[in-house]
Amino acid sequence: MSEMTDRPIKVLLIEDDAGDARLIEEMLAEATGAAFALVWADRLSAGLEHLTQGGIDIALVDLSLPDSLGLHTVVKIHSHASGVPMVVLSGLDDETVAVEALQMGAQDYLVKSQVDSHLLARSVRYAIERHRVLAELEQVREHQLQTKNQFLSHVSHELRSPLTAIHQFVTILLDGLAGDISSEQREYLEIGLRNVNRLRNMIDELLEVGRAEAGRLTVDPRCISLAEPIVETLGTLRPGAEAKGISLSADIPGSLPSVYADPARVRQILTHLTDNAIKFTPEGGAVTIRARGAKEQPGVLCVSVEDTGCGISPERTERIFERFYQEANTAEGSRKGLGLGLYISQELVTRHGGRIWVESQLGNGSVFSFTLPVFSLAKILAPIITENNRVRDSIALITVKLSPIGGSPSKKIGEAVHAQARDVVQRCIHPDLDVLLPRTASTREDEISLVVGCTDWRGAEAVVRRIRDQLGRCQEFQGADVNLTVSATMIETPSQRENTALERLVEEIAAEIGDRLKTVTSGGGDGDG
Amino acid sequence: MTETDKKKILIVDDDPDLRRGLNVRLRANNYETVFATDGMSAISVAQKERPDLVVLDLGLPAGDGFTVMERFKTIAPLSVVPIIVVSARDPQVNRDRALKAGAETFLQKPVDNDELLSAIRKALGEPVG
Repeated sequence: MSEMTDRPIKVLLIEDDAGDARLIEEMLAEATGAAFALVWADRLSAGLEHLTQGGIDIALVDLSLPDSLGLHTVVKIHSHASGVPMVVLSGLDDETVAVEALQMGAQDYLVKSQVDSHLLARSVRYAIERHRVLAELEQVREHQLQTKNQFLSHVSHELRSPLTAIHQFVTILLDGLAGDISSEQREYLEIGLRNVNRLRNMIDELLEVGRAEAGRLTVDPRCISLAEPIVETLGTLRPGAEAKGISLSADIPGSLPSVYADPARVRQILTHLTDNAIKFTPEGGAVTIRARGAKEQPGVLCVSVEDTGCGISPERTERIFERFYQEANTAEGSRKGLGLGLYISQELVTRHGGRIWVESQLGNGSVFSFTLPVFSLAKILAPIITENNRVRDSIALITVKLSPIGGSPSKKIGEAVHAQARDVVQRCIHPDLDVLLPRTASTREDEISLVVGCTDWRGAEAVVRRIRDQLGRCQEFQGADVNLTVSATMIETPSQRENTALERLVEEIAAEIGDRLKTVTSGGGDGDG
Repeated sequence: MTETDKKKILIVDDDPDLRRGLNVRLRANNYETVFATDGMSAISVAQKERPDLVVLDLGLPAGDGFTVMERFKTIAPLSVVPIIVVSARDPQVNRDRALKAGAETFLQKPVDNDELLSAIRKALGEPVG
């Protein structure tokens, strides 16, 4: 407490009523035991600006502001400046709202008609103290998490070497490199190998959980067709399903739009759900992967994995996505792994902006479903196309093309170079004004095209210069015999019509840009699938 | 195929069991093998034996895999030898770094045999499959 009395506590009061503001100022001035310095903001936007500038020890917040109403204000402030404690000062004596405000990040909820100088000053001091203790706890927790994840990463690394040796020598025996083996020996070695693979998957899962907890689960979304990861998953898991006498199939309509997702991650989610479904389905059963548009939610595709297995009881469906969740007593007594797959799948789906759920009835099979956003150029380009709820007069597109010198198709530009180029271009653009478009499926294999949408022409010219300069200096590209071309085109947008909704107009412009991109990135090639 | 036609592969790994396992696998696929157990001997063995390809672990005593790749770049006859990194380390952290350091491919232990052999064939310019 002593350090607080050293200097006045800087209080930000967000309150639109000048009378109330005056009253609170007087109360704080009368308070003994601590000195307060008040900063007054009469609306949320002004308050947020003060918070951005920093130096605020606590925010006192009214819930009926001209630019923000109710608990929305608490959420806004908390997400904007979670490091600043907050006390709600409301005219409304409502216990439910008060509890909700605390759950949303406020330290206290005071009713205006009930506060006096003493109470207010005490609440402010205590709120600061509580917030400080919480922040310390959070720091300790983060440190522990970090230690645990370092340990996990170390352990998984150390486990891999002996596992590799077992894998090597079992496969050497299996492949007959050390002489012929009997069919019985083969069978036992195959059991050994299957379990090596199980162990490897568990180690991978442990690492993924560590990443998920540390917020380092990376997702690299691009424009993809769902059919590819589904077909790949089928190919990988079909032998195991057939060995168990289970039919594994997919039902994908030909007309599905592309999704905005990371193909490797979608495969990971699907592999996990399908593998689980096969595990819990008895001989003679069927597992089906379906993809379709979600009727109740436009702009989203839904993928489900359906089985004819034993089903899940309602109390278990609620907990099944929890970390380390395990079946309490499975009938066959067979181990089900670490119980991390569904948790990781949920994290991955969430990172894609989708959701995952399960519908099931005991004895009637289960359906695990998840959603992924439909790829929409309009959504990605909307911040570039619009400004203050109207369409900009013009925007600019920058195209960066890297192709092998000589144009020999065998000299494909590798994945590493592609990723490096994206990195460099991302650093060259204005993060608030420009958007580097995601990769599209129709990009030609032997060259790289990166496209940036810019809000204004002059800015675009500067970005072009920067990209030329930076990419030209990149060692990776000098050694790789790459041709680099960077160009910008201006796109005039159609003038706004009275009767057309903004959204519609943005879609039209995005569609036009999309058409242009097709000719840029595929050279008039095969288009999208 | 005579002994001299065989492509020579340098296996660099500090784990004797993994070296031996890789040796059996590669010889069975008609490659000649030579070995190094740490970063320093990797350079000297490579200079003496002139391998056609290196299978390189990252965690090594006396100069890790990245140091080995850096040194290879500076020594003229070695700078063109393709390197396949086979490591237990996290690919999310090490794959890009290894590729930037000059590796053809990054494979995580335990490696699928077919995957390793097709990476080797590809790097040697042999028909894959």
